[in-house]
Amino acid sequence: MKRLATIAVAAAALAGTALSAYAEDFKIGLSNGWVGSEWRTQMIEEAEAAAALWKERGVNVEVVAQSANVDVPGQIAHVRNFISQGVNAIIINPNSPTAFDPVFAQAKEAGILVIATDAEVSSPDATYVGIDQKGWAMESAKWLAETLDGKGKVVAINGVAGHPANEMRVAGYREVFGQHDGIEIVNEVNANWDQAQGQQAMQNLLATYPDIDGVWVQDGMAAGAWRSIMDADKAGDIAATGEIRKDFIDIWTENKLNSGASVNPPGVMASALNVAVLMLQGRELKEPATAGQYGNAMYLPIPFISSDNLAEAAASMEGKPGHYSYTSALSIDDAEALFK
Amino acid sequence: MTATPSIAREGRGGFGALLDRFPFLPAIVILIVLLVLNGLFEPNSLSFRSLTGLVRTYMALMLLAVAQTYVVYAADIDLSVGAIASLVNVTIIVLMQHLGGGGLSVVAALGVGVLVGLACGLVNGFVVAALRLQAIVATFATSIFFTGLALTILPVAGMPAPTAFWRTYGGSFFGIPFVFYCVAVLAVLLYLLARSRLATQLLAVGDGQQAAFQSGLPVTAIRIGGYALCGVFAALAAFCITGDTASGDPLVGAKMTLFSVAAVVLGGSALSGGFGTVVGSVIAALIIGLINALVFFAGTPSHWQNFVQGLAILAALMVGILVSRRGRA
Repeated sequence: MKRLATIAVAAAALAGTALSAYAEDFKIGLSNGWVGSEWRTQMIEEAEAAAALWKERGVNVEVVAQSANVDVPGQIAHVRNFISQGVNAIIINPNSPTAFDPVFAQAKEAGILVIATDAEVSSPDATYVGIDQKGWAMESAKWLAETLDGKGKVVAINGVAGHPANEMRVAGYREVFGQHDGIEIVNEVNANWDQAQGQQAMQNLLATYPDIDGVWVQDGMAAGAWRSIMDADKAGDIAATGEIRKDFIDIWTENKLNSGASVNPPGVMASALNVAVLMLQGRELKEPATAGQYGNAMYLPIPFISSDNLAEAAASMEGKPGHYSYTSALSIDDAEALFK
Repeated sequence: MTATPSIAREGRGGFGALLDRFPFLPAIVILIVLLVLNGLFEPNSLSFRSLTGLVRTYMALMLLAVAQTYVVYAADIDLSVGAIASLVNVTIIVLMQHLGGGGLSVVAALGVGVLVGLACGLVNGFVVAALRLQAIVATFATSIFFTGLALTILPVAGMPAPTAFWRTYGGSFFGIPFVFYCVAVLAVLLYLLARSRLATQLLAVGDGQQAAFQSGLPVTAIRIGGYALCGVFAALAAFCITGDTASGDPLVGAKMTLFSVAAVVLGGSALSGGFGTVVGSVIAALIIGLINALVFFAGTPSHWQNFVQGLAILAALMVGILVSRRGRA
């Protein structure tokens, strides 16, 4: 009987090794602290899909996700759960730039790689892999300034005052418009990244300044702003920034709007995951991640959609639902090219 | 630490009597069940490091639940505890920054923090007990007022705390994590308060304001005292939040308010006042933390996590209330 048990245990152990036949096994935790938009859902789904692609290379990447509406202490609990579970790396879309310093330090002590994406963090124990929010704003501001031939009256519609990403974006467009003497910013308002508030704000702005030439509006509100512009029959006279969601791209195509959109792709987390796996393999970056205000950032390229490549963007989103965002991510090969 | 109601509940034996003596028994049972379940799904979650992390994360909620319990004793409620915690958080962060971040400046900032909490509690008490506004609406209004103040003091989340401050909260002394010293101090504090006159008087007021008044108790002063105590504990909660997040955030406590009310009920106190236990509230705060962890360790798909969390808290509330009701019926 005892012998039988020994054999059974041995067989189980063998089966166990057969199951984990991969050369490498990594467990990566994904934490998302806000589920208010489809963009975040798409972000997680793309990261999970990216993890599955590593199988072809003999690397088994298991992804565990925590995604819920939580406050900062709640997201700290996310990180602690990952530490308990003994993940190899944590990829987080953080709810605060500074509040994670202590818990990231604890994760690092436990030998866990921490990567933040979408919003930068101050922790020296983490690396940021994502777009430069200031650069994101500068791209579309440049487009607007060039479209207006460097002169005209412009209004700006921003997100939540005081939010770190919002402040970086505001700094970005102000810098670009400041370089063009002919561009005058006549007003800047906040519409809290809400389509309805964006629409309302645009209506008010059109009533107050009937002669504006351009609108710099952040994503999440641009569709609303454009609705007001179209309702006022000004679509032909005004150039305004746009969105990357499929429903807006369709309206843009149909009405031949004069628009341009910087892309903050939901694929940033997938890019971060590919970078994380390479780091876990012990590879070193060609250029260490030292960009940004906290000196720990690695910025990803920011795609841009304008009327020139609109058809291409629309084609890539064919058959997707209206809330689907135009996306791009570092493939495994792209990511590998960044490493020694 | 168990507060027995002023009305005699004698003459009943068995389970009912046990529940009267230890109203937090159902909460303890739920806590043990959750610990076992967490251990089954993720053995590591019962490691010393993980349990320390759990206490570190939920210490603030424990203190807020205690704060809430004292006002609930008197059949009042405080929907501004989270806002008070946020206000104290930004106040001490800004003060520590201005005073240079040395040891003395930290102590001074914490002192001011307690005073701010106390002041907020007194404002609440004045509005509710002296002006006789409905507690639920009045404290909701003051919560907006306190949040507004916090936003004036620190408009953007993110000013860092001195490293020494959060290293202390996250650190260990003589091999024991700092938060366990906090727990010990809290236990002593709660023990002393349970023997204090204020606690008994609050329960008496909660049991029947009219009767308390007629028997000569200064009801208004007692209720104000309850809110003041609540404000002080909310300030202590803010210290823990600050220790764990190492930064200021004018909105950090907002979501914790209703969790503190849930913890009070889950712990075995009656929202109708006159009967309660701070120990139960402390345990219940840990229960909420363990539920959140369990939902993840059990492998719930990410888009279902909020849903399952809510459901599990509801289930725990129902179990606790049904058991207590049967015991006391």
